[in-house]
Amino acid sequence: MTIARANLDAWYPVAMAADLPPPPGRTTQMLGQDIRVFRGLTGAVGVTDATGQPLQVRERFGHVWTSPGSPVQDLFTIPEAEPADRRLVDCGVVRVKCSPLRAVENFLDIAHFPFVHTDILGAEPHTEVNRYEVKIREDSDEVWATKVTFYQPQAAKSAAGGGVTEYMYRVAAPTAAVLYKTCPARPEAWDVIAIFVQPLAEDLCDVWPWMALYDDITPQAELIAFQQMIFLQDRSILENQIPRLLPLDPGKEIPTQADMTSVAYRRWLKRRGLTYGALSVAE
Amino acid sequence: MRWGCFGGQVLHRIWTAACLAADLPAATVLHATCGEAELAVWRTATGRVAAWTDRCPHRGMRLSHGFVRGEALSCIYHGWTYGADGACRRIPAHPEVVPPASIRAEVFSVIEADGIVWVAPQGTTAAPPDLAGFEPVRALTVNQSLAGIDAHLGGAFSPPGGALRKSHIQGQSVGLWLQPLGPDRLTLVGLIGAGAGVAPRVMLSRWLEDLRRRAETKVTA
Repeated sequence: MTIARANLDAWYPVAMAADLPPPPGRTTQMLGQDIRVFRGLTGAVGVTDATGQPLQVRERFGHVWTSPGSPVQDLFTIPEAEPADRRLVDCGVVRVKCSPLRAVENFLDIAHFPFVHTDILGAEPHTEVNRYEVKIREDSDEVWATKVTFYQPQAAKSAAGGGVTEYMYRVAAPTAAVLYKTCPARPEAWDVIAIFVQPLAEDLCDVWPWMALYDDITPQAELIAFQQMIFLQDRSILENQIPRLLPLDPGKEIPTQADMTSVAYRRWLKRRGLTYGALSVAE
Repeated sequence: MRWGCFGGQVLHRIWTAACLAADLPAATVLHATCGEAELAVWRTATGRVAAWTDRCPHRGMRLSHGFVRGEALSCIYHGWTYGADGACRRIPAHPEVVPPASIRAEVFSVIEADGIVWVAPQGTTAAPPDLAGFEPVRALTVNQSLAGIDAHLGGAFSPPGGALRKSHIQGQSVGLWLQPLGPDRLTLVGLIGAGAGVAPRVMLSRWLEDLRRRAETKVTA
């Protein structure tokens, strides 16, 4: 298949930086092609394509990023996650039999909380999604949703009880999304949670959740277990959506006002020609 | 006889055995197939049965993963709730909004007869198959073609190649309802003479399992 130029010129996560073998490294896939990822003797991370040619590499947010092409923009940053007193949590990887785009879209969705993450991130009868703001920021070319609020029984591992949580969502790369949510320990700050989605194939992905939190109490293993529990609940949905690819054109699925972020994400993908993992019109 | 019209083609306007009525208790939902369509078959709290394409029109989630409350089926993803007629009644993210009539599950025809839930494309008006007074014991899906299972049945059941076949096992009158779900997949319903006791039903159930095991075993040279 021919992969769209826009998809080739994008950044993708391909490994956890703390878990890299020496050369010749570990074989994995990006956009259906074999690549190898390793950490050399000097400590530098390397990624090579199927022919052994080196690819561009960034080591950021605890993960290794690369691109099969020539990205116009450098890999995004998350300034809010930089303060040294934040807990940075690599959550490992979850392989999901779905389009990488469906995994991102699900991450941007709050309306499923009461039904998929029942009694944790949501609970009936608190199902209403209030109006929020969505826009494509032209300067950074990112999708942002702000002023998102939702009632949550247990918003985080560190949360004592139920309450209204405020969120911001950000699509920073075709298969990477970041959310900012009310921090139980520090009401003036945001907890940062991201998913970095590695597109193994159009209908198969590895999802690397990552967090930058203010939480000095919860043991690392519990933070990871909490996030993995949440994402495994999401996987039970993602592997049972029909079709596995994400339809970009209206008419195949029925969005409502609560789906404004999803609608913007699909438009943004379509406008940029990011068709890998998307259902084309002809299909 | 139209029920014998097999051969891999899509079976339009023909009833397919989705499950035993007894395997679909009140307020439950399960997955079934009808020709090439995948279905969510469910029963309301008061016993009404419905069969729909296994896909919520909102985001494509399988409705067979959903849950039944009262007379409605809800999608597990966002809780969109549909009445037995297929119309969306409630979108939990917008509790004050009355869903437009255009939001509907794709409805199949469904009929409950002789202890079986039969499904067919919408508008099917023919009567469901006549099971000649037999009672269903167990429904299985077998990964094998009709010809493949014929090879294992030999000449013991008659008529050969029919959808409803009869025979005797250990002196007990039994029947088989066979229906292809695709080139290499079929539904097999074991039937028993009316009024049979528990022991012959258990015997038939084990015989069906054994048949499936043999039919699915790859023959190696």
